[in-house]
Amino acid sequence: MIRTLAGLVIVLILGAVAAAVIPEMQMREELQGVGYSYASRGMDETGSSNLVTAVIVAYRGLDTLGEVVVLFCASTAVVLMLTLYPIGVKASEPSRIVAFTAKVLPAPIMLFGVYFIAHSHLSPGGGFPGGTVIASTFLLVMLGSSSVPDRNGRLPAIESLAGLSFGLLGFWGIMTAGQFLNNAFLGTGTPGSIISGGLIPLISIAIGAKVASEFSGVFKAFRNSGGEA
Amino acid sequence: MTETLMTAIVLTLGGMMVAAGIAVLFVRDLLSAIIITGFVSLSASVMFLLMDAPDVAITEASIGAVLATMIFLWGRGKIGDDG
Amino acid sequence: MSTAFYWSIAGTAAGLILVGLWGVLTRKHVLRIALAFTVADTGANLLLVWSGYLPGRTAPVIDGSIPASEITSAVVDPLPQAMVLTSIVIGVAVAALFVVVGVLASRRTGSADVRRMKELRW
Repeated sequence: MIRTLAGLVIVLILGAVAAAVIPEMQMREELQGVGYSYASRGMDETGSSNLVTAVIVAYRGLDTLGEVVVLFCASTAVVLMLTLYPIGVKASEPSRIVAFTAKVLPAPIMLFGVYFIAHSHLSPGGGFPGGTVIASTFLLVMLGSSSVPDRNGRLPAIESLAGLSFGLLGFWGIMTAGQFLNNAFLGTGTPGSIISGGLIPLISIAIGAKVASEFSGVFKAFRNSGGEA
Repeated sequence: MTETLMTAIVLTLGGMMVAAGIAVLFVRDLLSAIIITGFVSLSASVMFLLMDAPDVAITEASIGAVLATMIFLWGRGKIGDDG
Repeated sequence: MSTAFYWSIAGTAAGLILVGLWGVLTRKHVLRIALAFTVADTGANLLLVWSGYLPGRTAPVIDGSIPASEITSAVVDPLPQAMVLTSIVIGVAVAALFVVVGVLASRRTGSADVRRMKELRW
């Protein structure tokens, strides 16, 4: 009780600070700075209709590479800890509803994920949500089967290949255009058509494969250590 | 969508989200707390959509509301409700 | 008119951050701390996207209905949205790490109470 009240006092002080600071952020009328130049030049320079994907993959591609490395470290740590300190396998039998759903739904869900990745430069979506949607199909398949997955899979190979191809695509930009992750040397094409945006669709596929294999590996480690998820 | 309707939606949803955030801390059952956290994520995804951020809304709905909930459910299966 | 819409989103985001922080400070069950952390994370992401929101504009996905010369006055800021997109993915990876470390630590101490996990205290 004392803890709760003391925490409440601290949080109320922080809330007073926030109430003083946040109204200072005036409602803006125009784009400024970097956001303005991304919005004005983004479609011409990258050929991508989706400006958010253009920023993630092209303008801030190096940051995204670092972010993928962070994701890799986190998933490796999870898998490593669960392999070193096993918790004990509890084989649980799925209910009939879950077993039936896991037979019917994975194919349409995976198609949806592939659509997200393939149309990342045209419509909302991209490598990150597409990869997680694909990982959730593997999760559904694991939930629907009573056996634990094979320990020796090809997931690490897919993961390494995806990360390697991200880096190699970046170096391809250095070789041809003198700039890491330069995406214009392939030709930007017509914005709005499926073959456009230079390197953006290729890098989206690499990001999607990497995110999908990482989260699938995490859930596989969960399943191998027992439990219902 | 009219301005008034959008304001009403955001006010209702925002109040529900903050109330749900407090409920996460005080509800007794850990399973209920996990599901309520999923509700906060899903409402946040609706709010991202109202703020013209469809990419972020899709990501939040697929990651925050599905994968994070499954991870917490796994942890609850391993630890249990005590404490 | 749109000011109520605008500021209520900021209020929700700040409220979620504060509630999550309160939970991290005061709860004892390790999974409940992880849940409160996730709530605070969601609030921080909302606040970041809100900082790039401009009322009365459309999403930064350009189709034929917007002339090329008017893009800068028609779309919201794409930069915070791109940052938050990566932040969400990092957030769930950190939550997974949090849960696994919590589960292993509670196996070792025999309780999910963080007050009993004394290995890293000094």
